[in-house]
Amino acid sequence: MPRMPRPCGAGCGALSFLGFGLKRRIEIGILYSRSGSYQLVSDACRMGAMRAIADINADRNYGIELVPIERDPQSNADRYATLCEDIFKTSSARHVVGCVTSWSRKETIPVLEKAGGMLWYACPYEGFEANEHVVYMHACPNQHLVPLMAHVVPRFGLNGFLLGSNYIWGWEMNRVARDLIADAGGKVLGERYLRIGETDVSRLIAEIRATRPNFILNNLIGTSSYAFLAAYRELSDEDAAFRPENCPVISCNLTEGELPAIGETGKGHLSVGPYFAPRPAAFASSFEASAYASVQVMADVLSRDADAGTAEFSKAFAERRFSTRLGPIAIDAHSQHATLPVIIGRIADGFFEVVSREDEVAPDPYLSRYDPAKTFGRPRLRVVS
Amino acid sequence: MTRTPRIPNLGGARAFILHRPHPTVQAITRQLSAIGLITLDCWPELPPEALAADFVFFDADLGFDEQFPWKPGEAPMPLVALIGSEAPGRIEWALSHKADAQLLKPVGNAGVYSALLIARQSFEARKHLAGEIASLRQRVAERQTIVRAVAALSKGSDDERAYAQLRSLAMSWQISVEDAARRIVAMTDEEGGDDQSHRA
Repeated sequence: MPRMPRPCGAGCGALSFLGFGLKRRIEIGILYSRSGSYQLVSDACRMGAMRAIADINADRNYGIELVPIERDPQSNADRYATLCEDIFKTSSARHVVGCVTSWSRKETIPVLEKAGGMLWYACPYEGFEANEHVVYMHACPNQHLVPLMAHVVPRFGLNGFLLGSNYIWGWEMNRVARDLIADAGGKVLGERYLRIGETDVSRLIAEIRATRPNFILNNLIGTSSYAFLAAYRELSDEDAAFRPENCPVISCNLTEGELPAIGETGKGHLSVGPYFAPRPAAFASSFEASAYASVQVMADVLSRDADAGTAEFSKAFAERRFSTRLGPIAIDAHSQHATLPVIIGRIADGFFEVVSREDEVAPDPYLSRYDPAKTFGRPRLRVVS
Repeated sequence: MTRTPRIPNLGGARAFILHRPHPTVQAITRQLSAIGLITLDCWPELPPEALAADFVFFDADLGFDEQFPWKPGEAPMPLVALIGSEAPGRIEWALSHKADAQLLKPVGNAGVYSALLIARQSFEARKHLAGEIASLRQRVAERQTIVRAVAALSKGSDDERAYAQLRSLAMSWQISVEDAARRIVAMTDEEGGDDQSHRA
């Protein structure tokens, strides 16, 4: 692979004098939406990236100064590719930290391939992708959905109701969930999708009330998710069978960043992620922590070789572990996915209490090592007459 | 009711890449490793271990029959053709090997995963169909046996009742109608001193 070109532009190759030494200025793209239905998540990621940039620029151990080149797609999936292209055309940046939805990530990939750029993706996603122009810094299914289901099924029951926003995250997560539930011996009692931003959840609630599942897998995002949790809380007030201790709502992307929007209605429900904020916390959520760690790993490699291209990054991933604020991180050189902790958290008063934790879970984005017997124990014996 | 497993279990599967040393091999190897397969590349011949492979990727541009330890079209595993030149002769040759999926060269950052799944499904469907055709051929070949069995059971009277009797015998013996017919013909032949199979 070619080394990443650094055409002469603003800041390219320039050295800045920061009091204690010369730092090479390196422009990096920041592609997070500042408005729209999933703004809270987007803001958390942006906050992590910007904090890392500020910390690295102030740290004399790094011989580089990172210069953010920001674009705001305003939660419009069609704007990510064009704005990513704009970053590459108008600056020397070849690394972009950005994208929240899988839809936007997939839209951006052709631009990255054309420009030889690299996307640092700091959100959980549905797996089954390993592009060499993307570094996947948050959890994939064997680091979120599989351990979450393995935790929930023996404690709450086999039968699930699947919800999702109507795009690839919900579709693919629920597809894997259908298989997991079947492998566990359970049934999918319903599978429903809402368009992104939809807040009318009355039909979902009526169906859940009628089918009485043991748990609900929530792949709704943003405002749809908040509306659902609020309505589900009302349902649980009417019928104790739907209280979190009996029928929890489980999520693979719910973090502290959204707790203020959810308020009391989320209490007792479960989520999984590589980080839940301790008190006091270095980061407000795993999105912020992953975006911060993304910039840290990127800066670590670039500070040793400012012109590092995909081949140099791949070599660094194969040979090194990275010390980050998220903890020591290894990145699988083949799939470019991070080895991460898997933590299951229960929503308490404005934070997550840790229910279980497993450290250093290696990524398996294609679930190639998934073993139903290991995940759900011995198959249940059915009584036959 | 059977349920097709949907999480494709590809972990630890072995894939041979039959291609001369080339960036194409690296690109495929990278994707296969990311998916979780064990890859082995070789050129110009497939080694004996390839007979136990789960997948074989082969070069359609420079490939030739003698590379494979099986006859064209009889590969015991799914094949993926790596097509660079779209020369008709080369495509024809790749087709003669019954490639189950294809990847166009140069291979980029994607395509291998879908090629694996498509190749596996096509191969399984082809194998299933071949088995079904063989079984149907065998049944067709037993037409004359059935006619003889019905004749033996009817003893010159009602053929319909004789055929119904043959079916009910097959059911009670829990074998196919053809096997039941063969058994009846054999018994009749034994009685008549003739012990030959009668196939059309």
